[in-house]
Amino acid sequence: MIEKINIKQLEKNSCCSIPSLNNIRISIITSICIGCGVCAEVCPFGLPQKKANNKYRISDPALCTECSACKRNCPVGAISMFEQKGCGCLWDARQRITKKNGSCCS
Amino acid sequence: MNYDLRIMAVTYMKKLEEEPETYEQEFTNLTKGINLEINDWIIDRINNDNSIFEIGCGPGTLAARIAKQKGKNVIAIDKNFQMINYAMANYPSDIAGKLLYQIGSFNNLTVFHSSQDLVISTFMLSELRPLEQQIFLRNVWKILKKGGRLIIATEFMPLGIWKIGFSLRRWRYKKKIRRYRLKNTQLNKYFFNYLNPIGFKITDKKTWKHNSIQVIELVKFNNEGKEEPGYYQPKMKKYKGILSQFRIFRCIFTGQIDRVPIEPGIYQSGNPTRKSPIIVTANYDFTYIKVMRDLKDIDVWVLVIDTNGINVWCAARGNDFGNQQVLEAIEATGVQNYTKNELLLLPQLSAGGVSMPNLSKKSKNFPFKAKYGPIWSKYIPEYLKNKPVQKPANMKLAKFNIFHRTRAFITHTTFLLRKVFFYPIIASLIIFLVVFPWFNKLYWVIDFILWIITSNLIISFLFPLSNFTRKFILKGLVFGIITIIILGGTFWILQKPFAYILLNTPMIFWISFFSTMSFSGYSMSTSPREIQEEYGLFTKVNKILLVISVISSLISILLI
Repeated sequence: MIEKINIKQLEKNSCCSIPSLNNIRISIITSICIGCGVCAEVCPFGLPQKKANNKYRISDPALCTECSACKRNCPVGAISMFEQKGCGCLWDARQRITKKNGSCCS
Repeated sequence: MNYDLRIMAVTYMKKLEEEPETYEQEFTNLTKGINLEINDWIIDRINNDNSIFEIGCGPGTLAARIAKQKGKNVIAIDKNFQMINYAMANYPSDIAGKLLYQIGSFNNLTVFHSSQDLVISTFMLSELRPLEQQIFLRNVWKILKKGGRLIIATEFMPLGIWKIGFSLRRWRYKKKIRRYRLKNTQLNKYFFNYLNPIGFKITDKKTWKHNSIQVIELVKFNNEGKEEPGYYQPKMKKYKGILSQFRIFRCIFTGQIDRVPIEPGIYQSGNPTRKSPIIVTANYDFTYIKVMRDLKDIDVWVLVIDTNGINVWCAARGNDFGNQQVLEAIEATGVQNYTKNELLLLPQLSAGGVSMPNLSKKSKNFPFKAKYGPIWSKYIPEYLKNKPVQKPANMKLAKFNIFHRTRAFITHTTFLLRKVFFYPIIASLIIFLVVFPWFNKLYWVIDFILWIITSNLIISFLFPLSNFTRKFILKGLVFGIITIIILGGTFWILQKPFAYILLNTPMIFWISFFSTMSFSGYSMSTSPREIQEEYGLFTKVNKILLVISVISSLISILLI
């Protein structure tokens, strides 16, 4: 039998936060991060910040635009995030909702 | 008309290709039999060729005819497996293994180098983008024997006066294609420029319908005695002076709507040598001019990749600037032969599409050390000079300052006027001029246009005021109120009738609210998911506001 996973409990106990689709938009899994700093180089908003243990953390997940630059370029795949094609734009959202075929960026 | 059918042919090719049984017949109908004449022309030309290779064979009609009538060995490939299945099912019985059908693409031809006498490709070239056409020609060159031939049938821009009608129809079809979200076909604009540098000579050709359909016979030759096909390099495109300034203005005014592609390939800034690094950028005209100007003639190679005439950020988020495009550009241009410097500097904003760890993994001989450069091209010279391991904040953080917002204001307002408010404005003009000739009410239309422009001006200039929230609906409400206060005050000073101001308040509010929502794409302050969550509420609020504002504005027009 599979027990229901209590995410809050897990987050409390484990080393890292587990992003669920509803609340946390993006996070760096500390145990995998090698501190290379690529994410900080590509993020246009400077969200990944170096912490005392030489690893990176997203400072303010609410400011993320989900462009996936950090996730694509992380050499160890330490970044977990929800990714979607396109960018934050009304017409893009309309395209996705009404036409159901991708984004207006292409 | 022939142009119609030519464009339709390629437009609907994708649809036809889904049904191999009817493909040949439908395609013949579309070209009014020209494809059959082309097949005859090609078969007449086959004499001493023993090994023949066809790329893009479709249902295999031509390949089967060659094998049957001429008794030659034919290998025919197509990337569409339905087509190959159909061709196999209709394999002619009496040709005893002379014909081989395979799934394959021009990217990776599965025969030995210098093994074929003749390569044929009909009506495939216009589905390839400029860089793909160059790769196609180079790959064909490699598999041809010395003095081997390539016969290509494809569509071109017609000659002289026929261009006008052609361009108009193409413009119409382009809009249609975009609506269906189909890939656009390419005009073979530069095709003839590629031939000589890569190593082909035209020996014969026949044209139909004012040059809009052509079949061309090419012969391979060795450029400067080399055993490799050459590379094509586009001519330098101007980026200084008044004309390129006009090209910049054109891009600012049509930004959200038009793609303005330039020819992809290698360009030069200054006098690059074999020690100069490579700067990668998108083939949007605005991007090209900006990057070239910002480089200030320092010596670098500029690799312009094919992003369909879209800027770096949008292309990266829309699958037009990714690993595939970068690798394709490297393969087609042979940029590694220009320089010994291993630095390949990608724009920082392309990171949303490019995945660097995969770049070197996917291509076996990736000869470069790829790096993300500064976020604004104006920092490239400084970046190349200092080569910082970690970029300083100003080189990597996106800003949305007053200069960007001014440009965004122009682009966004022209977008709204062209795409959203165009028909309402035309409709109200018709009503006031033709249906009910109320010439004295025309001022309302002028007011309406002025409201659109001023509310967008207010949004762009005061945008940081709304930074307290990321919800664009809330921002819209804030700017709606600000616009009402500013415009209402102006009308008060201008001593307009009070009822007119009051009755048009909902319209002004709606314009401002709607424009703020539409402005979201410029601001970099929302994400796809956030705006998508807001979309449902937005459409409801939008509808209610629109109904109220139209009714009350109508009353104001009728009363005052």
